Amino acid sequence: MKKFLVLFLSVILVLSFAASCKKKAKQLPPPPPPQAQEQPKVEKVEEPVIKEPELTEEEIFMKKTLEEINREKPLARIHFDFDKYDIRPDAVPILEANARWLKKFATVKILIEGHCDERGTEEYNLALGEKRAKSTMDYLVSLGISPDRIRIISYGKSQPLDPGHNEEAWAKNRRAEFLIIEK
Amino acid sequence: MKKLIIFILSFCAIAVLSTWLFPQQEIVLTIREGVPAISVALPPFICEPASPEVQEAASTIHQVLTSDLQYSRVFTLVSKEHLSYIRPLNPKEIFFKDWESIQARLLVVGEFTRSENRSVFEVKIYDVKSQRMILGKRYQVEPGVLRLVAHRVADEMMKLYGEKPIFTTKIVFVSNRDGNDELYMMDYDGASQTRLTFNKWRDYMPAWSPEQRAIVFTSYRAGNPDLYILYPYEGRLVPISTRGTNFAGAFSPDGKKIAFCSTKDGNAEIYVVNVDGTGLRRLTFNSAIDTAPSWSPTGREIVFTSDRSGTPQIYIMDAEGGNVRKVSFGGNYLDSPAWSPDGERIVFVSRVDNFFDLYLLNLKTNKITKLTETGARNESPSWSPDGRHIVFSSNMSGTIQIYSIDYDGSNLRQLTSDGENKLPNWTN
Repeated sequence: MKKFLVLFLSVILVLSFAASCKKKAKQLPPPPPPQAQEQPKVEKVEEPVIKEPELTEEEIFMKKTLEEINREKPLARIHFDFDKYDIRPDAVPILEANARWLKKFATVKILIEGHCDERGTEEYNLALGEKRAKSTMDYLVSLGISPDRIRIISYGKSQPLDPGHNEEAWAKNRRAEFLIIEK
Repeated sequence: MKKLIIFILSFCAIAVLSTWLFPQQEIVLTIREGVPAISVALPPFICEPASPEVQEAASTIHQVLTSDLQYSRVFTLVSKEHLSYIRPLNPKEIFFKDWESIQARLLVVGEFTRSENRSVFEVKIYDVKSQRMILGKRYQVEPGVLRLVAHRVADEMMKLYGEKPIFTTKIVFVSNRDGNDELYMMDYDGASQTRLTFNKWRDYMPAWSPEQRAIVFTSYRAGNPDLYILYPYEGRLVPISTRGTNFAGAFSPDGKKIAFCSTKDGNAEIYVVNVDGTGLRRLTFNSAIDTAPSWSPTGREIVFTSDRSGTPQIYIMDAEGGNVRKVSFGGNYLDSPAWSPDGERIVFVSRVDNFFDLYLLNLKTNKITKLTETGARNESPSWSPDGRHIVFSSNMSGTIQIYSIDYDGSNLRQLTSDGENKLPNWTN
């Protein structure tokens, strides 16, 4: 009997709770109707982009400073044999490419620097570095580059590329470098 | 009898005439190799007053003079120990027999006095055997000249014996200690290193004028290796040759001309020009490298390097460019010849197996002797004015530094250590 009473009461409790919930839901205002058509569209604000015409290679070149051009090293260096200043066969394609570049940028003037390794004496090396720069210049002239566009300088052994004291360093240091000094 | 007098007179006339005709023959000095050095007693200097400052100054002069005399090869010092065997020096009354007993040929008596406003160093040099003063000098000593005072005394002693003074002379050289190659100078012992050029470009291959008032050198300051003369005591710089690569300048013994190497005509050739830049003359004409000229002490000949035979070798020509002859043999890479002040020897560099060593060519005997043996690159030799010492650069310690060595290969000394130091020049 007692069990029945508890069940009865709890059923009433549940029912009355449910009834109160229902009542609350009924009290909520109805959702507002959609009002999209009343708001303005968001506009994108921007200046019109100026599109430059594509630069020619010459124009790109002329925009750069000499430092920027030299940093890109458009003219590759060449190397020499021990105690020698004649142009090695492996230097020929490099000089040909350099000559093509110089023909393309026909206003450019360059400085060719001749360098030696430390295994020569000061005086002889300064003369040898000059010979290396000179034979490099002569080769470029033979490929059609005007000698008026080329200056040469010798640094002897005073500006090694590689400070090492071995065959590898010496081979690197016996070289001619190209510096663009005018465009 | 009359005939004999005439003969003697004409002989004298010829002798006088020949010295007038060939004055350069008088310049030739001989290095007295094997001649025993002159023994010098150098007791401590007398100080007045005997205050610590005066004693310190006097002892600095004493120390520097001691090293000068030891370096000279002309003098030797009587050992300190021997000085204790005899009565102490009394400048008022010198017992010469005492000094003779310890085998002193010369006695140097120095006195440093300081009064209220000035210091004076007085030196008297006695010949012990004759008991006579042979040199007396008084120097006013300003602060900072103590070393120079000692060098002056040493040079006076050199002159007494007909030797060229070397201790007040300077060695000019190239150092990168301040970031790039600049000219510096220093004393023979490496003291008083002084910077001479101040720029961001390379200054290179300096060489003194005979009186050490001017320096010919190569500078890249105008963007090209040009030849200049620097007058360091006048603050004057004069460009001499500015076309092509210009280097290896060398003053003639009379100081009026400069021999140098230039590529102004397209190839490395030797030229001579007056110090004011006029009178340019080309001496060599070939497609080989001709470089590194050095004058004979008479100024009549020039020794130089040429690779006209295929490899760099040593040649001599007349100062006008004629009469070229090869003097080197037995090496396949020779350079940097320097003619000795006595005219008899040429020091040069020879490369063997990537090492450079200094060699001496004796022009009288035609013998070559090796001077250095260090397994390094020893190069750029230059003679001391008296021909007893040679300065050169070497990487024997790892970095390139300047060393000095005696003409017989003894007494190797390192003179520099700050940065890298090279291309020393003491005399041409």
